[in-house]
Formats: sequence, C-alpha cells, structure tokens
Amino acid sequence: MPGDRTEVLQGTLDLMVLKTLDSAGPLHGFGLARRLEQISGDLLHLNQGTIYPALLRLEQRGWIGSRWGVSENNRRAKYYSITRAGQRQLGKETANWERVAGIIGRLLRSPQEVQ
Amino acid sequence: MTILREFGSRLRGLFGKQRRESDLNDEVASHLELLAQENLRRGLSPHDAQTAARRDFGAIEQIKETYRERRGLPMLETFGQDLRYGARMLRKNPGFTAVAILTLALGIGANTAIFGVVNALLLTPLRFKDPDRLVMVWENLRTGNNPENNISPANFLQWQEHSTVFEQMAAMYDDHLNLTGEGEPEQIPYKGVSPNFFTLLGVAPFIGQNFSADNGIPGKDQVVILSFGLWQRKFGGDPGIIGKSIQVDAHPYSIIGVMPRDFQLFVKEGSFTGEQPEMWEPIAFTDRSRKPRGRYMSAIARLKTGVSLAQAQSQMDILATALEKQWPDFNKDWGINLVPIREQFVGEFRPALLVLLGAVAFILLIACTNVANLLLARAAQRHREIAIRSALGAGRKRITRQLLTESIMLAGFGGALGLLLAIWGSRLLIALGPKDMLGSNTVAVDWRVLSFTMVVSLVTGILFGLGPSLVALSSDVNADLKEGGRDSSGSTRGNRMRYALIVLEMGLALVLLVGSGLCVRSFILLESMNPGFDSHNLLTMKLSLPNAAYPTEEKRIAFYRELIARTAALPGVHAASADSWLPFTTLGAATDFQIVGRATPAISEMPVTDVRIIEPDYFRTMGIPVLAGREFNERESSAISHVVIVNQALATNFFPNENPIGKLLMIDMKDPKDQKPTEIVGVVGNVKHEGLNTTPRAMIYWPHPELALPFMTLVVRTEANPLSLVSAVRDQVKSLDPTLPISDVATMEQRMADSVAQARFSTLLLSLFAGLAIVLASVGIYGVTAYGVTTRTHEIGLRMALGAQPGDVRRIFLGRTLRASLLGLGLGLLASIALTRLLASLLFHISPYDPATFIAMAILLCGVALLASYIPARRATRVDPLVALRHE
Repeated sequence: MPGDRTEVLQGTLDLMVLKTLDSAGPLHGFGLARRLEQISGDLLHLNQGTIYPALLRLEQRGWIGSRWGVSENNRRAKYYSITRAGQRQLGKETANWERVAGIIGRLLRSPQEVQ
Repeated sequence: MTILREFGSRLRGLFGKQRRESDLNDEVASHLELLAQENLRRGLSPHDAQTAARRDFGAIEQIKETYRERRGLPMLETFGQDLRYGARMLRKNPGFTAVAILTLALGIGANTAIFGVVNALLLTPLRFKDPDRLVMVWENLRTGNNPENNISPANFLQWQEHSTVFEQMAAMYDDHLNLTGEGEPEQIPYKGVSPNFFTLLGVAPFIGQNFSADNGIPGKDQVVILSFGLWQRKFGGDPGIIGKSIQVDAHPYSIIGVMPRDFQLFVKEGSFTGEQPEMWEPIAFTDRSRKPRGRYMSAIARLKTGVSLAQAQSQMDILATALEKQWPDFNKDWGINLVPIREQFVGEFRPALLVLLGAVAFILLIACTNVANLLLARAAQRHREIAIRSALGAGRKRITRQLLTESIMLAGFGGALGLLLAIWGSRLLIALGPKDMLGSNTVAVDWRVLSFTMVVSLVTGILFGLGPSLVALSSDVNADLKEGGRDSSGSTRGNRMRYALIVLEMGLALVLLVGSGLCVRSFILLESMNPGFDSHNLLTMKLSLPNAAYPTEEKRIAFYRELIARTAALPGVHAASADSWLPFTTLGAATDFQIVGRATPAISEMPVTDVRIIEPDYFRTMGIPVLAGREFNERESSAISHVVIVNQALATNFFPNENPIGKLLMIDMKDPKDQKPTEIVGVVGNVKHEGLNTTPRAMIYWPHPELALPFMTLVVRTEANPLSLVSAVRDQVKSLDPTLPISDVATMEQRMADSVAQARFSTLLLSLFAGLAIVLASVGIYGVTAYGVTTRTHEIGLRMALGAQPGDVRRIFLGRTLRASLLGLGLGLLASIALTRLLASLLFHISPYDPATFIAMAILLCGVALLASYIPARRATRVDPLVALRHE
C-alpha cells in the first residue's frame, strides 16, 4: 500500500460526492467510490463503506436523490444523482472551499512571524 | 428548510425498518460483490478477492450502525428502548407495579376529580356573551350584614337613568305563578325581567322571539318566554307553540319564545323561590315603581368596554350618596355593591374548593412518597443490574433516563387509571355536593382537565422517580459487583431517604387529619345547634292562591283555615298550621317598627324586625315554646284584632328590664291608613330562621287576618315518617280546590340538611381524604419497616445467636420508625398551625388552632404509625437464628 495516501478531511467528503455526481451523472455507491479514488489518482485513502452514511445525509438534506436500478453485475443497486438544491449547495460549498483554501495557502506561504 | 427536511426524512426513517434494513443490506452486498469482481479481474484468488473487498470497504457492521443512527432519530429510539425495557421490568414485578399504579391512581384520580369541579365552577367560561363584563348590582345596608341585599325598583330606575358605566342594566325578581288549563294545575317558578334581559346576556331564544322594548309598557306586558324544560314537559316540545295563549294566574298570556336547552341564570341570593325559573315575564315599570318603597328585586348589568369594576363601583358609590340625599327616609346608609357574575355563582364555594384542592395535593404527595419508597426498595435490589450497565459503559445520564422513564411510565398508567377513577368520582362528588353547587355548569373531562391530569402525572413521575434514581447511581460500581447480587440495603443514603420519606408522609398526613378533624368537630357543633323548634316529623309544602279565584282577604283566610282543620283531622297528624315564610325555606319579610310611648327615633335609627304571618296552633305544631303571655285566641285568628306575638330576641333587646306583655308596637308593614298600634300578647322562643349558624334576630308573629297573604307554607306535625302523609294532604288540598298547585314538598329535616349541605360536603370529602391519608401513610410505614426487617434478616440472626432478646430486636426497628414518625408529627404540627387558618372561613364555633383537635389527631396518627411498624418488627423476632445466618 502506498505510504502517503491522504485521509479524507472531515466535511470535504460531501463536497467531493456532490462534485462527482454533478460531473459524472448518476452513479451507484461502488461506482462513486471508485471514481473518487480514480480522480485522486489513488492518492485518496477511502474506506469505501463510509460513503454510505454520507450519501444518506446528503439525501436527507435533499441535495441528492436516489433510484433503484440494475448494476453491471445484474444486481439491484441504488443510483444516486444530484438534485437542483444539490447543485446550488455545490456552488456554495465550492466558493467556500476556495476561499478557505486561499486563506490557508496565503497563511502557509507567508514568512514565519517572530513573536 | 434543510433542517426541517432532514428532520422529516429522519422521522420517516423510524418506520418501515425492515424494508430499509434489507435495502441497506442489498446495497452493501452489491458493493462488496463489485469490489470482489474487480479484485478477481486483477488476478486474486476468489478467497483473497473477497477478503480484500471487505478490507477496502471498511468495518461493515460499524458502518451499518452509523448508517442506522443517521437514518432515524437516536434520541427517540433510545426512548423507545427505555419504554420497552421499562415495560418489561414492570411486567416482571406485577405486585410492585399494581401497588404503585393503584396508589398513584388514587392520588391522581382524587386530584383530577376535584380539579374537574374547580374547572367547571371557576375556569369554564359561562355561556353568556363576554361573561366577564357581567355584574350583579345589589343594595347594601352599611350597618347591616347582608352586602347582597335585594334592590328597590325606584333605585334601579334611578341607576338606569344616571349611571354611565354600563352598556345596559336589567332588573329581575322571582316568584311563583299558577299555570292552569294545561293538564294538572302547577305552581311554576318564574322570573320577571326587564325586556332587555336576554339581549344584555347575549342569548337569543331557541324558537320564537325575544321581548321587545314595547313589552316593558304596562298593558303590553302579557307575554312569556318558556324554558326549554317547561316547553318539553308541559307542552311536549310543540314547535307550533309560539303565539299560543296560556292561563297565568287566571289571566291570558301569550307565548312568544322558548329559550335554548342550556340557558340558565339563577342567582340564589335575593331569590324568593330558591328555584331555577321556568318562565320569564317582562317587567313593566309604572309611575308607582318610581316611589321609593320595598326592596325585592335584583339587577344585572353589563360593564361598558374599557370600564373596570373599580371604576364602575366608584361611580355607583357616588350615585348611592346622591340617592341617600334624595330619599333619606328610604336610602339612609344604603350603598350599592357590584359583584361579578362568576363571583356571585361560586363565591361561597371557592374557599371550600380551594381547601379541597389543597387536601388532594397532599394526598398525591403522600402517594408519591409511598411509590418513591417502593422504588427505593427496588433500586436497592437492582444495584447489581445498574452496576453491570455502568460497567458496560452506560453513562449516568443514560441510566437516570432509563429509571425516570420507568417512573414516568408508572405515573402515566396511574394517571390513566386515575382519570377513569376521576370520571366516576366526579359523578359521586356531584351526587354528594350541595344541589345548587353546580348551577348551570356541568362537570366534564375537557382539555383543561386532561392537560391537568397529564401535567400532574408527569410531575408526579419525576417527583417520585428522581430521588430513588439518584440513590441508585450514588453507589460504587466495584463494590456492587463484588457483593455478588446481595442487595445493599445497608446503603446509608437509601436508608436515610427511606426514613426521610416517613417523616414527610407523617407530616402531610397530620395536616390533613387536623384539617378534617376541625371540620368534623365544627360540623357536629353546627348540626347540634338547636334551631329553636322541633324539626323531627314535620312535613312542609308551599301553596299560593291565585288572585282571580281568591280576590278577597276573607276567601284566602277561609281557605287556609279550612285546609288546616281538615289536615289536622287526618289520622297520623298531631297538629297542622301554616307560616308565610317558614324557617330554612325562603327569605322572609322584615320592616321597621316603633314602641308606642317611647320617643320616635330618627328614621335611620328605627329598629327592624322580621315579620311572619301564622295560622292558629303554629307554635304547638312547630314545637316553639311560648315563654310568656299566650298564643292568639280564636277571635284574633279570625279577624283583625291588633295583637302580636314577639320572639325572645325582640323582648330582650327592646324590653330588657320590663315585661313586654301589654306593650304596644307600631309596625310599618301596611298602608299607613291601616296602621294601628298592636299589643304584644305573648313571647315565644327564638328560631334560627336563616340557618343554624345565624344568630336569631328580632321577630314578630301576626295572625293571618293582619296581612292576608295569598301564599303560605303548610306545616304538618306527624306521628311517623312525614313523607307517608304527602298524598293524604294533597288529597285535602284537591278536595278544596282541584286547580290549586302544590310546590316544594319537603320534610323540615330535608330543608335543614340542605341548609348545611355545603358544610357537610366539604367535611365529608376532607374526612375521606384524611382516611385515605391514614391508609397510605400506614402502608408506607409498614413497607419501610418490613423492608428493613427482610433485608437485615442475616444481621438479626447474628444478634439473636449472640444472645439478643426479642425485645432488643423489636426495639431496633420500632425505634427508627418511631423516631422518624415523631419528627414527622412535630413538623406536621408546625405545618398545621401555619395552614389551618386557611380553613377559618369553613369553621363554625371552633378555632382553627383548637388544641384538642391537634393533640387528638397527633395521638391517633402516632398510634397508627406504632401499629404499622409493630407488626413487621414483631416478625423480626420470630426469625430462627440458624435460618437467618444462612440467609443470603
């Protein structure tokens, strides 16, 4: 196992799930997990099971919807897709993330302050 | 919005659990399979592919659990678990559960029942428009003792003209009328009212129409409105009744309306009939009404919006002063008194109801201490269970919540059963209560009663559950686990709390006992008061001769003389007579008088006397002693002879050092031209006319010819049960006049019982509650002592094996219980001293601090405590040391 895979930051999983569903369209849980790993270039360490409570939370908030379908291996599988409210939320969270990332970036780049 | 949606979704998550669970399993299984397939493709062996899939997925059960928690509402689900667990615990101990629920049901039921009555009388809105703005308007003689005196028409008309604080005012009076021509002739209680009476109340007739202003004009006033009851009873609910003509006192009246079924307005104060009216007639004031004489009406008024009671009262005070100046002879010292209508209805019951509400609260507290005791005992047995739970990681909060859920469940069941008891109990309350207590109100389980019961149950559950759960949590987990299941009654905190509960229970019970003891003694004193006549075996009934059939005084006098003669001749009758206003029956007439030969006092200083008109043989029939002089003779009873008999109060007040016989009085009762000095020919004993708790006032008796009233109350002294003669006397009336109605048939004892009905009611209930308190308290003390004995069997065996005598062992248990009881009694005495003065208004001839009652009740309760603890303590001495030592 590669030594420097990144743990998923608390709260960023929502953003990643929304973004993935937004760009890739409806996916089932496995597909979503696989996709997240692929995009991160396998640098993201994800216990795939943990996305299910996250999916439930997003669904309860009305940001994603779900529908039962049939998977590649011919089993019953739940397909998740982003809702309009989810897209709005994605916009908000993206902006927020960029702002925070910007601040952290600036902070890290600035020279160490001497007390 | 998001939060709401999430909550809704989680709420839905509580249902359809099985389907959601299988969905989750499907989703996870499908995921694992896809992962495994991928691993297979990468070239892993089937077994390795599966294992790797599980590893990548993460801890399956943990994830599922997180998912489940996320799906529903964990708080609610824990609560559900607590409920289920609690229910299991309650089912496992049916004895404990039954005793606890029954105790609570008694406590909560008693509270709900009394609250139901309080709710009906004090809280439920009256069925009039804006009832809070309705006030009764009374006259009030400042030097007298009746602030709710009848009013005079002349004053009423002045108020109506000059006051500006009322939207409207209406006058009313009540009386009986004779309704003939509709089946049996009948005396019907009716009310004369100003034509705006119903408009003022904001109630419209059920059918037909209201009185119009025209009906207040003399000549246009021969219309009536019927009560719903009379319409049904007398006219079979005939919908075409409107416009029908009926014979009222032998005059034609036309029916213009029928009131709704639930319409009632009856104010006992100032009523001459003492009955709900069944018919209403308009009052047509004439010019004569404007002359200040006679107070026999009452008045109701509606305050203008924005005018407070105090503002209205101060304007009426000014008006009263002006009227005093205008008619000093008539109005000297007369004020005006406004009483809100609700206060008018329930004012006299309020103190008793509040005392009863306090008493049932005490009962509930005692019930709570008992159940707390039971829970404490059980908590001791459950120490190990609780210790295991906390060892397994249950937090204090979680355990407290579990225990509280159990006690609230108990209280909930107790409350539900209590509500049933209360529904049954409030019927009993109404049956026991004074018959005029409810008036137009009904006792019903409405939202107020329901929420009262729910809140009381919840508070009760927390109250008796909190202490024991704190004790349960206080112990050391390790010690409890090591103890190996033996219950730890030795836990000093539990013990201290148990005895503290005895202290509380004894204190509460004593307060109730002292309160009810005072009421019982007061009631016995009241009932044993001598009314001034012999009340046994007296039959009474009211008669009223219609003017049309008996136009002359001679006819009226002759009718009563003949009726009395025939009645007296009936077998089983000792004597018969009649009185215009019989004691314990109605208000009577009173007037001012002068003693001839003494200086004429100022009009306002004129002495006042009650006046009664009697038939021959009255004093013998009633059993009133003739103290001096003689009764009226035959001639005096047949024609005006200017003679009078006075009571002892008048004799001693006005002739303290003289012989009153032969003195002359001027009694201001008739037209001035007919007024002649009348000679006192006899003095008779005092009669408590208006109630056993009143002091007799000056009274004069006149023979019937002096004032030939059409109405009289027949009074018959019988040999045996007076009610057995009702039909025989009725037949005599019928044989004289088949159209003459009879009303208000009752024995004198019934009338006297009615007059003390309110005192009997509160006394009975308080005694009932005190009895309940004794039972609950003794059960509690018995329980604590018995529990102590059971848990200390081992120790007792040890002591006895070492040579302790039965007396020593008994003393261990008795001593503790008694010390706690005595402390409780001491505190109870202090609390009683602080609280019994609230009873003062219910007590008669006895101080609320009556030491004899205090001491007697303390001794009684102490005896009960001794007995309740002696029985289990004695059992302790019968323990076989060998068995006891082995006892685990």
